[in-house]
Amino acid sequence: MDIYLPIAEVSVNWPLLVLLGATVGFVSGLFGIGGGFLMAPILIFLGIPPAVAVASQASHVVASSTSGVISYAGKKAIDFRIGGVMAGGGVLGALLGVELFRYLRLLGQADLAVALSYLMFLGAIGALMLYESLGQILRRVRGEVAPHRERRRPLWLYGLPLRMRFPRSGLYISAIPPFALGVFAGVLSAIMGVGGGFILVPAMLYVLRMKAGVVVGTSLFQIIVTTAMTTILQAGRNQTVDIVLSTILLLGGVVGAQYGARLSGRFRAEELRAVLGLIVLLVGIQMGLELFVRPSELFSFAPGAVD
Amino acid sequence: MLPVFPPPPPAVEAPPPERSAATLDEVRVAAALTDARVLVDSSFRGASIVLYGAVFNPSDDPADVVVVVRGPDAPVRLVKKTRNMGVWLNSRPVLFEGAPGFYMTASTRPLPDIAEFGQLRRLGVGLDHLRINAPEESRTVTRYGVRDVVVSRLGADYLDWRRAVIRLREAAALYNSDPEGVEFVDEGLFRAEVELPAVAPTGRYSAEVWLFQDGEPVSVSNLTLTVEKVGIERDIFEFAHRRPWSYGLVCVLLAAFTGWGASRVFRRT
Repeated sequence: MDIYLPIAEVSVNWPLLVLLGATVGFVSGLFGIGGGFLMAPILIFLGIPPAVAVASQASHVVASSTSGVISYAGKKAIDFRIGGVMAGGGVLGALLGVELFRYLRLLGQADLAVALSYLMFLGAIGALMLYESLGQILRRVRGEVAPHRERRRPLWLYGLPLRMRFPRSGLYISAIPPFALGVFAGVLSAIMGVGGGFILVPAMLYVLRMKAGVVVGTSLFQIIVTTAMTTILQAGRNQTVDIVLSTILLLGGVVGAQYGARLSGRFRAEELRAVLGLIVLLVGIQMGLELFVRPSELFSFAPGAVD
Repeated sequence: MLPVFPPPPPAVEAPPPERSAATLDEVRVAAALTDARVLVDSSFRGASIVLYGAVFNPSDDPADVVVVVRGPDAPVRLVKKTRNMGVWLNSRPVLFEGAPGFYMTASTRPLPDIAEFGQLRRLGVGLDHLRINAPEESRTVTRYGVRDVVVSRLGADYLDWRRAVIRLREAAALYNSDPEGVEFVDEGLFRAEVELPAVAPTGRYSAEVWLFQDGEPVSVSNLTLTVEKVGIERDIFEFAHRRPWSYGLVCVLLAAFTGWGASRVFRRT
């Protein structure tokens, strides 16, 4: 049941990969996320070279986001105008990120960059989500009323030039913050192989204060453009995209995602967020742990001369 | 009158075949591989090739057989994790040359019993005798009045680094030495197995079969072996490396199409 992956140059058990794709797809459908942050660590654990894992799953994110965007577009829940601005930033970010990743690989510091970004971003976002959703659950149990939130956007959003109207999101703000957000997500997608939804969605909700109904669809739209760009750049610059690997993952992924999405309606939003926050936090800690634990093998090969 | 027949030509004494004559008084080894081409396709999980051969040994001295299989040269960049302020960080990568992508030895006895250190080093036989070094790290200096002393910037750690190259490759089953890997199946007839793991590099491999007598190499037989990707794997690999941009575009389109297809299928059911 093993299959030889032509770019990764290893052979792996393919039913296991389909199962992995389905599981990650299920999680991504359930929580409405791309699931890239879960996929990369597991692929690396299975023995796929990290560079190939990160690059190949970017195309898996393209597939899972495409089916998401189609369903959101049907409900008219995408703001293509602000999504386009963010996607422009995402393309620039992907360009920067792929070059940065290439440079770090040559320096032998790619592992450090991946571990640090997982620890920092997943750790912080996971802890925040867990804290916020647990607080909400506690208040519901005690029957308290949620405290009044500050509904105003940060003032600096209005001080910037290049203001644009985004009617669907109910915004009239400068194009610079969404563009910068896109750049940031693009860099992350190149280094971590993730779509960046876990950063984009909170930022769009709490910083830009977009209408909640269009946030997820718009972030998925931005993610498709960014990860598609990342895939092409990783293939073109680093030759690390394994089409066989990503196809096997997607076959499981798209099916899993549909079942996950169906099941998600049965749970309360804050419960789902609490579980997701916990998963995100654990993955971040797990990936960051290698920085602090004495490795059993001090030496390792750095890519560069061989490929 | 009886016809006079010419006298019959004298029987020509046929010379014995050259090889048999040579083996009468010369110690020789001959060997062959069951497969000179290893094809890597989608079901490739490594390969096991049998090298078999014969030893012609008319003398009374026992002879030892050493099989060395060497893959194409693959320089590596090695990093070492060091602890800086409580965090384990990679050092600057060091380029090591002279490390083949695959290396195995199989012999009738442990190598140090077969020949002396210097002899093995000269022939490059054995994992300890691979000419792995880091040329960029070395420089020549004058020390104690002796000129052109080669020192390494890696300092005292140098041997650790070299050993790590071998250890990491051994862990990936790319390097192997089996002191009992050559097995005599009959008088003068031996076999040895070459185990190629799935991660074995593609390219031309060379196999040397050495015959040692009293610690001296007396005969050698050279064979070649090619490991190549075939079928769809080869096509994908070539496509990804020759036209990387179009390949990336195809990957994205395939992914987008799969996502679209899935949403169509699931909307109907």
